[in-house]
Order: sequence, then structure tokens, then C-alpha cells
Amino acid sequence: MRIVCPFCGERELGEFTYLGDAKPVRPAADAGEDAVYDYVYLRDNIAGMMSENWYHGGGCRAWLKVTRNTLTHEISAVEPAAGAGAAKVGA
Amino acid sequence: MAEFSWDIRSPLERALVSGAYGAPGDAGVALTEIRNFDLVQVMARRGKAAEMSKAAKGRFDVAAPETPKVARTADATLIWSGPDQFFVLSKGGKHGIGALGQAFAQSASLSDQSHARVLISVSGTKARAMLAKLSSIDLHPDVFAIGAAAATSMDHTSVTLWRSADRDGLAVFSVLVFATFAESLWHTMLDSAAEYGLAINHSEDL
Repeated sequence: MRIVCPFCGERELGEFTYLGDAKPVRPAADAGEDAVYDYVYLRDNIAGMMSENWYHGGGCRAWLKVTRNTLTHEISAVEPAAGAGAAKVGA
Repeated sequence: MAEFSWDIRSPLERALVSGAYGAPGDAGVALTEIRNFDLVQVMARRGKAAEMSKAAKGRFDVAAPETPKVARTADATLIWSGPDQFFVLSKGGKHGIGALGQAFAQSASLSDQSHARVLISVSGTKARAMLAKLSSIDLHPDVFAIGAAAATSMDHTSVTLWRSADRDGLAVFSVLVFATFAESLWHTMLDSAAEYGLAINHSEDL
């Protein structure tokens, strides 16, 4: 599997680290225990298209949001994750 | 009270043995460690990338690389190291951390990496063949031209790799590696190049 880093170009999988589902959003401070439990522990086991966080630690050290089909490993989109420090994400 | 003397020593001081290594005959690979350079990491502060670019243009009279490339001036090399960041490689303090602070005070954070990295120059007729064993980067001249750069890994070690100006008609590749990983990568490089024959040296010239 290869990932096309938006900064570096196409690179081998060994340069990247998988950081899990990109979908969970940290709940508000007053959201309650259930929402926090869901955010911290509960994950969907998706068979199909999934939005994932990856880290290009062996390259430019940017965080990426990768849209990947978990059945075929086909990658349909790669973009810098929010807060990656990249100008193209916005401050 | 004990007296200490602080000598600047290369992290490769023990590992690097100048001379021939590996297969006898004409060396296919020349490995040269470049010593005593100034290296400054310049990273844009949040939302200040455009300002940093402007400051770099003002200071160096060339645009800082915004894609994996290097930009050269008469006495400095600006090397892309990631989004909104680059290295300044030079000699003699003119572009060292002390000299750059003012130019980037409003836009970027600087950190002195002069003693934190080892710079290895790889050249020779078999340089590409040797590097191909360590790197997944396509180093074909059509793809990786003079001035191309990459933040990548060799032997599981993060490196900054770029192609310098040719010497004697042959490609020269520069590898910046973390000082504490340098000895390990150095031995891996020796193993990779042994079959081609090596000429090992160190130099003070960038």
C-alpha cells in the first residue's frame, strides 16, 4: 500500500503510522459521561469507506486525513489534517 | 576543581575510517562526511507561513522552498524539510542561528541543529545503486533532478535527502541524519556500498 502525501508525493506505507478513525470529535465539556465514553472507547468497525488519521513520521511529519476503503485498501483522498501546521489547512 | 575541555567532535569520529573499503579496485561510491557546518531549522509560526516566506526572500534573495526542493544562494542552501519549514545550511556563522534571529523574529521559530545532524555526501558511479538499497525514493535523473529534495526514511531512520550540484559529471546526493542515528546509518551505508568499493573521507567544504 502507498499513500500520496499532499506534501511529499507518493510514499511507501512504512513511512506512515496509522492513528485510527478520524471521525470521533471530542465532546463539549458538559456533554456528559456517555458522550465521553463513546468518544474515548467506542469505535465503528467499518467495512468500506473510512476516514482515517495517518502520520507521516518517516517523512514530513505532517498529520493526514486519509479516505480509505477497508475492504480493498483503495485510497480515494488524502488531505492535511486540521492543525497539521500547514498553511493550506488554515490557521 | 577538575578542568573540562569541550572538544567539538563528529558523531562519526569512531565509525569513519578514511580510505578504501569493500571491493578492491576503483571505488564505485564515495562517502564523505561534511563537518563544521551551520544548520538552522526555520519553522513558520501558526498562520505566518507567508510572512516567513517574505522574510526568507528578504534575507537570502531567493524564495524559500515550498515543495520538496532546495534553493541555493552563493553561501547558503535552503532545504525543504516539511510543510512551512526549511533548513538553512551554511558555513562560517554568516547564516547561523545568531545571524538569522532578527530576520525571522516576527514569523518563524528557529532552532540550531548544527550539532544535531550529520551531513553525508554520496557520490560516485554507483551512488544510485547503493542508495536504491536504502531508500524508496525514485532517484532516476528524470525524476530526482539537481535541487530535488525529500524528507524520507532510510533503514527506518528519518533523513533529509537532496541532490546537490553534479561533480565531475556525476550526481551528488546529500543526506542529513540525526546525530545519534548517524553511526547506525553509516554502517548500513558501508554494507550497501561494499560490493562497489568505497572511498571514505571527511571534509570541511560544503
